[in-house]
Amino acid sequence: MKDNAEREVVKAAEARQVGHAQSTVRVDVPVIINTEKCIKGCKICIDSCPVDCLSVNPASGKAHMRFDECWYCLACELDCPKDAITVKIPVLLR
Amino acid sequence: MIPSDILEIDADVVVVGGGSAGSTAAIELARHFPVGRVVLLEKAHVKRSGAIAIGMDGLNNAIIPGYATPEQYVKEITMANDGIVNQRAVLAYAERSFDMIQQLDGWGVKFQKTESGDFDVKKVHHKGAYVLPMPEGYDLKKILTRMIRRSGVRVVNRVMGTRILLDEGRVAGIVGLDTREGRVAVVRARAVVLCCGASGRLGLPASGYLFGTYENPANAGDGYAMAYHAGAELTGIECFQINPLIKDYNGPACAYVTGPFGGHTVNAAGNRFIESDYWSGQMMMELYRELTSASGPVYLELTHLAPETLLEIEKVLHRTERPSRGRFHAGRGHQYGTDRVEMHISEIGLCSGHSASGVWVNERGETTVPGLYAAGDMACVPHNYLLGAMTYGRICAENALRYLADSAAPRVDPDAIEAERQRVMEPLRRPDGIPAHQLEYKIRRQVNDYLQPPKSANRMELGLAAFRRAEEELEEVGATNPHELMRVQEVQFIRDCAEMAARASLHRKESRWGLYHHRLDYPLMDDDRWFTHVNLRKAADGTMQAIERPVAPYVVPLDADERQAYHRLRVGAAGSSPAAQGEPAALERQ
Repeated sequence: MKDNAEREVVKAAEARQVGHAQSTVRVDVPVIINTEKCIKGCKICIDSCPVDCLSVNPASGKAHMRFDECWYCLACELDCPKDAITVKIPVLLR
Repeated sequence: MIPSDILEIDADVVVVGGGSAGSTAAIELARHFPVGRVVLLEKAHVKRSGAIAIGMDGLNNAIIPGYATPEQYVKEITMANDGIVNQRAVLAYAERSFDMIQQLDGWGVKFQKTESGDFDVKKVHHKGAYVLPMPEGYDLKKILTRMIRRSGVRVVNRVMGTRILLDEGRVAGIVGLDTREGRVAVVRARAVVLCCGASGRLGLPASGYLFGTYENPANAGDGYAMAYHAGAELTGIECFQINPLIKDYNGPACAYVTGPFGGHTVNAAGNRFIESDYWSGQMMMELYRELTSASGPVYLELTHLAPETLLEIEKVLHRTERPSRGRFHAGRGHQYGTDRVEMHISEIGLCSGHSASGVWVNERGETTVPGLYAAGDMACVPHNYLLGAMTYGRICAENALRYLADSAAPRVDPDAIEAERQRVMEPLRRPDGIPAHQLEYKIRRQVNDYLQPPKSANRMELGLAAFRRAEEELEEVGATNPHELMRVQEVQFIRDCAEMAARASLHRKESRWGLYHHRLDYPLMDDDRWFTHVNLRKAADGTMQAIERPVAPYVVPLDADERQAYHRLRVGAAGSSPAAQGEPAALERQ
C-alpha cells in the first residue's frame, strides 16, 4: 500500500479534474396549489411570478412550483382567478 | 442542444427593464415614435416586475410646493450622503418631481389628500417633509402597465439583457436571453436605457434563503454588470445598501411608515436611541451599534398604540409593499398590540434608490457611453427611491430623443452577436456541471464573510481573491434548461458586482456614510483626502480599475449647521455621537 502522503498527492490532483456527479435533496416549497381549483390552460400565476419559479406540471396540466425560488410576494396568489394558491412563508424564515 | 435561432428585433430605442423607471421611460419615448419602434425588454412580466412588483405604500421623496423646495431637498440629500453627490443630478430630479406626481395623479394613482384636497405630506426626514402616502399603492403597477399598453410600446416579456452591443464605442443595441424559449434575442437600437434595478442578490440574507432578499431577487445586478462591460463608469459602489428589516422576514420594519402613527425604534430596554427613523448610513450605524451592544437587539415599538391605530397600520403594512408580512407575524403568534417586532439589518446590496451605488449618470441620465442611459435603482442619483426612478425614466427618455435626432444608424457586428450567443449558451454544454444555485450560495456567503461592514482591507482582499476564483468556478457551472441558463447569467452578474463592491471599498481608505462604508482600518471620515467620487471602469486590458472624480461645485451650498445634521441622530448626543467621529469639516470645498 502506498504511503498516505503520496496517495493524497495523486487524489488531490484527481479531485481537480474528475468531473461532476449530481444528487437530489427533497425541498419543502412555499407555494401550494390546489389542483382541484386550478384550471388547465390558465397561466396567469406563471406570468405573474417575478422570478419565474412556477410552471405547468406536465403530469397534471396544472400549475406547480417548479423551482424553490420564492420571494413570497404573493403575486401568484393575488392574481389567481380561482383562489387556488396559498403562499406560505418559506420554512427557513417562518 | 443549443438553439440556433435568434429572436431579432429592429427598434429606435430599447428600454431594458419594465419596473418603475423603465415604464415611464418607455411611455415617454413611445409618444415620439411609430408603434413598435420603442422596445421594452422585461426579464419577468411587466404586470408584476421591478422593485415594486406588488406595490408601494408611499413616496419617500415628494417635493411638493408649500411643503418643500427643490433647493431644500438637494441640501437634505447632500447631508444624508455626507457631501458626495452630483448636486446637479439631484436638483434635476427635485425640479421635476412635482411634475411626475401630477402625471401619476392624472393616470389615476391615488395619493393621500387632506380634507381640503391638498397632498397630505408627512415629515420623516431629519429636516424637511417629503413623504406622501399612497393608500392604494397596490394599484400602481397595474396603472403603469395600462399606460404601457396604451402607449404603443412593444413589450417583450421574459427576455433578460446580457450584453450591450457597441459600434466604435457607441450603443448599437443589446443581446439578451429569452428565458422561456432558451434562444438569444438581439435588439438593434441606437440608444439603450438601462432600468434593471438594484444589485439585490449580492449579500446572503441571515435566513440563508437565496431568494429571501430585501430587493426583488429578479434584480440581480444585471444593469450594473452590463453597463460595466459596455465600458460605462460606475460610482459610489462602496456606499452599500443596508436596511433595517424585520428579523428573518425580508420586509422593512417600517419605523418610518409607522412614525406618523406614533411607532418608533427602541432597544431591548424599551428606550429610544435614534432621533430620526429616515434610512441613512448614519442611522444604520446607530442601529448596528445598538443591535450589537448589551442593549440590543432592536425592536419596532407599537404596543403602546390604540387598537384602531394598529388596524390602520396593518392596512398599510400588510397590503401594499409586502402583503405576506401579516402572515409572517401570524405564523409566530405575534401581534402589534402585545409583541414588539424584532428587527435586524439586511444583507448588503447595491442600490442608489436607497443609498448611492450605481452607474455614473449626469443630470440628463447619460452614462459615459454615448447612447447609453440609466435610471432607477441602478443609476447613481443618491436616495432616489420610487419617484426618482420614475422621474429619471422620463429624463432619460427626453435626452435619448435629443441624442437620436442627430445620431447615425450604428453597424451591428454579426461576429459580436455570435460570440455573445456562444458565451450565453456555453453552460448548456455541461448538463452535469455545478448547478448555478450552489455557486451563487457560495459567492454570496463570501460576500457576507468578507464585505459586510464593518470593513477591513485584510478581509476584503481575501474576498477579492475568492471572487476572482469564482470566475474559474463559473466555467464549471452547467445548465439543463433556459431557466437554469438565466440563473447562470445572474451568478455572473452577482460575481461582477461582488468584485466591484470589494474594489471600490478597498480604494476609499476612510470611513463615510455611517455603516455603509465603515472601515475598521480607517475609522475616520477624511474630507481632506477623500472628498471625491470613487468610480470603477473596465480598463483596456479587461481588468477592473478604480479612479477618482472630483465632486462638482455645489449649486446649493450648505451652511455649517446643516453639514452636521445627520451626525446628530443619537438621542441626547448633542453633536458628539460615535458616528460623528471625523467631522465633515469642508463639505462644499470647491
